Amino acid sequence: MVSPGQTLLELLRDELGLTGAKKGCDGGECGACVVLINGQPVNSCLVLACDLDGDAVVTIEGLAGEDSRVIMESFVEAGAVQCGFCSPGMVLAAKALLDEKPDPTPEDVAGALVGHLCRCTGYLRTVEAVRLAARSLAGRRGRGVAAKRGCADCREI
Amino acid sequence: MDKVSGKLAFTADLKMAGMLHGRVLRSPHAHARILGIDCSKARKLTGVRAVITGLDSPLPHYSVAGQPVLDEQLLATEKVHYIGDEVAVVAAVDPDTAAEALELIRVEYEELPAVFDPRQAMLPGAPLVHPGQESNIPHRLEFRRGDIEKGFAESAVIVEETFETPLQYHGYLEPHAAVAGWDAGDRLTLWIPMQSPTLGRMTYARALGIGEDQVRIIQMPMGGAFGGKLEYRLHVLCALLARAAGQPVKMVNSREEDFQAGLPRVPMQMRIRLGVRRDGALAAKETEIIADSGAYVNYAHGIMLSASHRHDNLYRIQNIHTRAFLVYTNKVPTGCFRGFGNPQIHFAYESILDLAAAKLGLDPAELRLLNSSQPGDFTPHGWKLHSCGLSDCIRQSVEGSGWKEKRSAPPSSGRFARGIGLACCLHVSGNRTFLPFFDGASSFIRINGQGKATVFVGETDLGQGARTTFAQIAAHELGVDPKDVTVSYVDTEISPHGLGTFGDRATTLGGNAVRLAAIDARQKLFEIAAGELGADQGDLDVSEGVIFSQADPKKSITVAQAAKLGWARLAGGLVTGHGVYTPPDVSMVDPKTKYGNISCAYPFAAQVAEVEVDRLTGRVRIINMVAAHDLGKTINPLLAEGQVQGAVAQGIGYALMEDMGVRDGRVINRSFGSYNMPRIMDMPPLNSILVESDDPNGPYGAKGLAEPALTPTAPAIANAIYHAVGVRIKELPITPEKVLAALREKDQI
Repeated sequence: MVSPGQTLLELLRDELGLTGAKKGCDGGECGACVVLINGQPVNSCLVLACDLDGDAVVTIEGLAGEDSRVIMESFVEAGAVQCGFCSPGMVLAAKALLDEKPDPTPEDVAGALVGHLCRCTGYLRTVEAVRLAARSLAGRRGRGVAAKRGCADCREI
Repeated sequence: MDKVSGKLAFTADLKMAGMLHGRVLRSPHAHARILGIDCSKARKLTGVRAVITGLDSPLPHYSVAGQPVLDEQLLATEKVHYIGDEVAVVAAVDPDTAAEALELIRVEYEELPAVFDPRQAMLPGAPLVHPGQESNIPHRLEFRRGDIEKGFAESAVIVEETFETPLQYHGYLEPHAAVAGWDAGDRLTLWIPMQSPTLGRMTYARALGIGEDQVRIIQMPMGGAFGGKLEYRLHVLCALLARAAGQPVKMVNSREEDFQAGLPRVPMQMRIRLGVRRDGALAAKETEIIADSGAYVNYAHGIMLSASHRHDNLYRIQNIHTRAFLVYTNKVPTGCFRGFGNPQIHFAYESILDLAAAKLGLDPAELRLLNSSQPGDFTPHGWKLHSCGLSDCIRQSVEGSGWKEKRSAPPSSGRFARGIGLACCLHVSGNRTFLPFFDGASSFIRINGQGKATVFVGETDLGQGARTTFAQIAAHELGVDPKDVTVSYVDTEISPHGLGTFGDRATTLGGNAVRLAAIDARQKLFEIAAGELGADQGDLDVSEGVIFSQADPKKSITVAQAAKLGWARLAGGLVTGHGVYTPPDVSMVDPKTKYGNISCAYPFAAQVAEVEVDRLTGRVRIINMVAAHDLGKTINPLLAEGQVQGAVAQGIGYALMEDMGVRDGRVINRSFGSYNMPRIMDMPPLNSILVESDDPNGPYGAKGLAEPALTPTAPAIANAIYHAVGVRIKELPITPEKVLAALREKDQI
């Protein structure tokens, strides 16, 4: 099923029908293809599918838990979604950031998203979205609502 | 939510039974004659289903949107005109096979002398890019207003400078893509991210030599457009392959291809000579523009026209003389990009205004306020400014940025110097001159038995939220929740004829049509409700999905109930409202004089940029931006501000960072690694101020916003740099190298 030259991005899109990861540049420069590999955001266009063995890959389709939903809703509410092409990659990167830093500063957010190009929004709302998500998630945890961190929040195929 | 969750399918995500993958073979030469093409090996490769070249069968010459010079062919026949020009296309069972097939096609070229500089291309004896024409100048214009000699004679100060703006790549995250399929009866369906399905249908039918009714365009969600997704050859090439192969074909540009063969912003060289009277009134303006069309005209003639005259309506100026030339070069064809000529000319105009202000000893904001167009103005070009919030924009952006203190702050002599600059602009809300025989918008709205409405309109959503705005307008008039309104994507089979989204027309024209359709639907619902409730139609009102009698509010039925009754009485036909909006009192420009009121509403804007210049490295850092935009009426503040923020980001890129780097006709910066678009850390704090001047024509007073929002950014930054360190950079992008060179030159004087 996996051919030697096939990137993870191609495997996901062409073989597995998971088209949430987008081919924006195929060169690791735009972030639209980002997925989480073992919890870390990675440009899937730069990974050969056959290099993965026993690694946990999470795509946007795998973010099905409540925490992920909060993050996605924060993006929408903050007005950080226009055409939406860059959004799945950004959401995954935001998830990874918030899993590691539940209370990120604007600098933390910028650092986490510098590899993500967006031509529509001008990014200001993206920073707000991530911080809004952080506050909402903290609120949920504060209320004792079950908060799963990391891959436990994800749905497996 | 569809977008953030990755569920929304873009064109490249589509899969169809038997779908093939197409690729384009592009010219490696800027200018060459085709001596022969050998596809035999490619055709024999296993998995290849179609190979087409321009030599296989006659391909008609065509142009886009009725532009009179038919300089385009789908595939090169005699010559290639730029590096990237389409020579052959292949369709194969998978992308790798298609790529391999391209390698097997042998093209024999005879290289020809090429022209890359429009000034060179204009000279008699220059190599002709299109030999069927007399020269490399397919379009030129000249017009005069008032008395220019008198104007200069009255001027206390005359300034003259030449400015240059470069190619700018749209940088939409979604590269160009298309899926094409033919039915057994010779009808084509195109699934494409397309800003104007209507215009596309016209152009593509002509390019394919078939009837318009044989072309169906289904608009796909767009991953950004900004003007770059109007007519595009890939769409038709995909159709050719699908017809030859008898199977659907998908084609997607690689990012590199998209850089090489997209339709980037028209570069311009602009010389302006401006005369200003002692009292600060603008007295005379002489302008010469040389616009670089690249290998084909595409929309560049309209962009040149826009750059030639729109800015003259920003301030009150009577004496004008303008000449403009559109010139072919053997480079990537240039086309529409947000602003449509305005970013180019406003960079020049707003820069030279500051030069004049400095010579006169006037504050730049004062100079502009003195000359600002006012509501009710009838300009020398025949524009009727029913609403004009320009003065408010200037005042509010000036107030919001600490202008007074910062302008009068003592200049710093240290390594870092701060400065503040202002620039203004205007735009249209829809442009009558785009298509001679059609303008306006229409819409119809259907209401089902659950009280939910579907809106059909011809103006497309590019991702900016037009569908949300239309839903809001419809919901407002129907008295229902916007969540109960769906706006359909454009499908030329179903949607009403509409020009699409460009020219800043969607909210004003599309929005008005939706408004009228919703009012019509509401009337029909009231008719039904009146009968049911035994009330007078004129007595009814609707709110939150309930139609009630104002005299006796207990008499009520829901919108859903009324719709269901209507459906029953219409033998299954849903309650449907129709709306047609033709902007009043607009006209084409006179072909000679370019005089004419081309739009029913004009938005205005002013932006203030505060910068810090590092004298050691030449780097310019933007500390703060204040953007004041007169959009008539804010229908959705979140979307409106989103447009301002996104546009300012593009403006910052245009001003400081983005350079396609063309050398000998080759685009050197063909990836996001070398073509620097603003990233998250490049954005300064931005304060958007929405000024409402309540236009009488716009829906609820609304005018366009999204296009002008990027126009003032570059000149505001240039003016701020001038204030900070006293150097005037006249060529974009303003790179650190240019700043350092200018500083060095200044120090030597």
